Amino acid sequence: MTDSQPAARPDALVRVEDLKLHFSEGGFGRSRSVVKAVDGVTFDVLSGETLGLVGESGCGKTTVGRTILRLYEPTAGRIVFDGQDISGASTRQLRPLRRRMQMIFQDPYSSLNPRQNVGNAIAEPLEVHGLAEGSQADRRVRELLEVVGLPANAANRYPHEFSGGQRQRVGLARSLALNPDLIVADEPVSALDVSIQAQIVNLLEDLQAEFGLTYLFIAHDLAVVRHISDRIAVMYLGKIVEIADADTLYNSPKHPYTRALLSAVPIPDPQVERSRERIILTGDLPSPADPPTGCRFHTRCPYVQPERCHDEEPLLRPLSGRESQGQVAACHYAEDIEDGRLAPREGLVVRAEPTA
Amino acid sequence: MTLLEIADLQVSFSTRRQTVYAVNGISYDVEPGETLGIVGESGCGKSVSSLAILGILARNGRVTGGSARFEGRDLLEMPDSQLRRIRGRDMAMVFQDPMTSLNPVLTVGRQLTEVLRRHLDVDRKAARSEAQALLERVGIPNAGDRLSDYPHQFSGGMRQRVMIAMAIACKPKVLIADEPTTALDVTIQAQILELLRDLVRSEDMALVLITHDLGVVAGICDRTHVMYAGRFVETAPTDELFAQPRHPYTFGLLRSVPRLDAGRAQRLEPITGAPRDLTERPTGCAFAPRCAYATQASWDELPILRPVEGSGPSGGAGRRAHLVACHNPVPQADLTAAGIGRGRQGNA
Amino acid sequence: MSIAEAQAAELAVEQPSGLLKDALVRLRRNPGAILGMVLIGAFVLLAIFAPLVAPYGPAERVGGLATNPPGPTSEFWFGLDDQGRDLFSRIVYGARLSLLIGVVSVAVGLTFGMSLGALAGYFGGRIDTVVMRSMDIMLAFPGFLLAIGLVTVLGRGLGQIMIAVGITNVPVFARLLRGTILGQRESDYILAARSVGTPGPRILFRHLLPNSVAPVIVQATLACATAIIDVAGLSFLGLGPSDPGLPEWGRILADNAGRLNQSIHLVIFPGFAIVLSVLGLNLIGDGLREAIDPKLRS
Repeated sequence: MTDSQPAARPDALVRVEDLKLHFSEGGFGRSRSVVKAVDGVTFDVLSGETLGLVGESGCGKTTVGRTILRLYEPTAGRIVFDGQDISGASTRQLRPLRRRMQMIFQDPYSSLNPRQNVGNAIAEPLEVHGLAEGSQADRRVRELLEVVGLPANAANRYPHEFSGGQRQRVGLARSLALNPDLIVADEPVSALDVSIQAQIVNLLEDLQAEFGLTYLFIAHDLAVVRHISDRIAVMYLGKIVEIADADTLYNSPKHPYTRALLSAVPIPDPQVERSRERIILTGDLPSPADPPTGCRFHTRCPYVQPERCHDEEPLLRPLSGRESQGQVAACHYAEDIEDGRLAPREGLVVRAEPTA
Repeated sequence: MTLLEIADLQVSFSTRRQTVYAVNGISYDVEPGETLGIVGESGCGKSVSSLAILGILARNGRVTGGSARFEGRDLLEMPDSQLRRIRGRDMAMVFQDPMTSLNPVLTVGRQLTEVLRRHLDVDRKAARSEAQALLERVGIPNAGDRLSDYPHQFSGGMRQRVMIAMAIACKPKVLIADEPTTALDVTIQAQILELLRDLVRSEDMALVLITHDLGVVAGICDRTHVMYAGRFVETAPTDELFAQPRHPYTFGLLRSVPRLDAGRAQRLEPITGAPRDLTERPTGCAFAPRCAYATQASWDELPILRPVEGSGPSGGAGRRAHLVACHNPVPQADLTAAGIGRGRQGNA
Repeated sequence: MSIAEAQAAELAVEQPSGLLKDALVRLRRNPGAILGMVLIGAFVLLAIFAPLVAPYGPAERVGGLATNPPGPTSEFWFGLDDQGRDLFSRIVYGARLSLLIGVVSVAVGLTFGMSLGALAGYFGGRIDTVVMRSMDIMLAFPGFLLAIGLVTVLGRGLGQIMIAVGITNVPVFARLLRGTILGQRESDYILAARSVGTPGPRILFRHLLPNSVAPVIVQATLACATAIIDVAGLSFLGLGPSDPGLPEWGRILADNAGRLNQSIHLVIFPGFAIVLSVLGLNLIGDGLREAIDPKLRS
């Protein structure tokens, strides 16, 4: 199926091709089941952009991010970083590349070693790569602390002495220590309080502008993703169902799942909330150990059709007969839905209430 | 008719070394069929206030003042046995994490029938069929079969439905939902919110929704209280609150959350600093250290909730009142400049 | 302090920064642990300054041979033994032996146990299976029986006995460390360290071990007490150090078990010495456990 995927863009910093990652569960004496956490995803992260990767829990977005950084061993597929295929690279081969790609974690409480002071945590990447030691490293640590808006004396303190937002800043400083090109940010603000989220989002934006960073921004919060991303890829059960520019995705989503997802995000404005149409999906997320056949979304899709949806897997494709602007969606009936030729199943769409 | 009336409720926690003043005098009331929102960030005291009302505070927590009347009777003065009867039957609560609030070693059916038999005079068989009806009511497919499943066999969303089923088992008059959707995915959150909306409408239940999510509040609450450092800083009908936020904290929250319907170009305006330490009771406004509008008076004198001046047609009295606890409410010009109160904003 | 923190404060006073520093702060608030520290401190002082404290040497004969040696007098505080040696001096010198036994055998256990546990926990897979199954086999024997068996094989020198007792502790430490390492291995900060390219050994020594040793330290303190009892027990059964002159408490007890009716002081004083030192170590161990893992306090 690789041949039908969009070709690599020349300006891609990361190219992910038909990436698969299957975990096997169980083991000794128990029946083994294979969880297809990521099951054939293809996308590019362009140099200097922010690609948002959204989806609900269990869709495989975190796994994609970690596999790109080769923290997990891919089961199949290719990961090309700056022209170099790293999908089979050894630990030794990876080491120089690790300088160029970094990670920010969701939970600022668990992503810092509680027994290591902040200065050592930030200096560790420098030491590991033999880039700075002693006073030189101290100077760099102070510099990094300043960049992320923390006082220099933070270096001598331990993670528990900081608030969640401050710890996330420490995590950022550590990820910046090696001057990376790519940062995979996995839910970097979702554990933070509302008033603190904005501080970190702004900081991420500032750092991107200052250091020319490329972000893979993984999150479940579509509002945050739309705010920060240039392009957005939507995942469902180990597959990408749609990729588009952030504005295009919001203004004209093509995949029924994207539509449902967008309509489910609450907007802090009662008037807007009242006048919106909500698509309420029925049922739960199927298990990734036993994903539905054909289109994986067909069990919950309000537009599901008797033909094709159950038995034929849809490919990511631009919609026929219209300007795509890079938008691709994996739905057999995307055109029919867009043009209103298909109606959603009854009872799944909550119509807007009459405005008071 | 007022169902639940909270007046000047105060709660504090004492540890060996210090006292944390979690709730510092909040007042609200709820009527049947009404949905009330309490919105605030973690640690502002929003959850603690409802735990206190139901008498289920942690051991080191203490109600230090105020009253909580349910149909005229003070819950805080009542003997424990009486409170237990009200809790679960007339007032019920749904928590954020449904896994920890269900007993993992009992089937869901057993837990549901136990609630029913404890509070209502029904035999086992009737309770069983009522339990099935409840699961159906909250939208669990194959309800009959699922009664014999254990909590871990349900997904997060389904577990939250079970919790809601358990909470509404005895047709409570008041349901307190504490971050009921925070642990859930958005499409599941939409399902649960729809269910709550439906319950309020069809059962004429009063719903107190505690959340940090302004979007959730906007979609479901009739009236909203914004809580900061143990106090309500602003309270208004939800429409009015979002259109005319007058407290700098409310204003700050609205400007700091990205909106799905706003364009990318718009930069977020974070609230500077971090929520305050609750171990001391400030003489002035607790938000002053983070507030751009703070004046000397903010530091010296505690602002009390007052009707908003000149709030125009919607600034009425009683249940329509718009109250704000601030010496220097956000001027209209700043609201306009920030694009608040005009419905959609940005380039969407 | 936030509300959540305040609610948790009943359980945890503060999070650890310096493991020992914080543990000490909490230990100071625990009367049991203080008593334990006083007891063990006293024994340590006795051991160090034994020649200054004890009026006579451990093997020095100050009285004649006697079947029923005299009890405490103002000159001989704990009385004399059948060889005419001053019991007080012997017990004071015995403190040296007992502490040595505790420390050395625990050190033996820790060295092997922690290495195996770290290996199994860090590498997992087949290494883990092999290591842990062998530990299970060792655990299948009651510890004391295992020690008896080992002493029979290794011989009855003091060193061999300490090694034997130490070996019985190996599986306990290995299991404990492996468990905590497994718990830490998947945590975000380990992933973070891996993502910057931190080499394996550094991850193990800089990140995993410092966050996993706390329960092992607690266990080590308790094991120290058990070691003292075990060696005393071995001596009592006649499997103790072969050198009869050694003032080992268990041995003194064993040698004089037959004189319980006539010269009870020969049994009571070494017995007390054992009980107090073991009690002290256990109190410290329990205190440490609470101090390091405040969740255990209810």
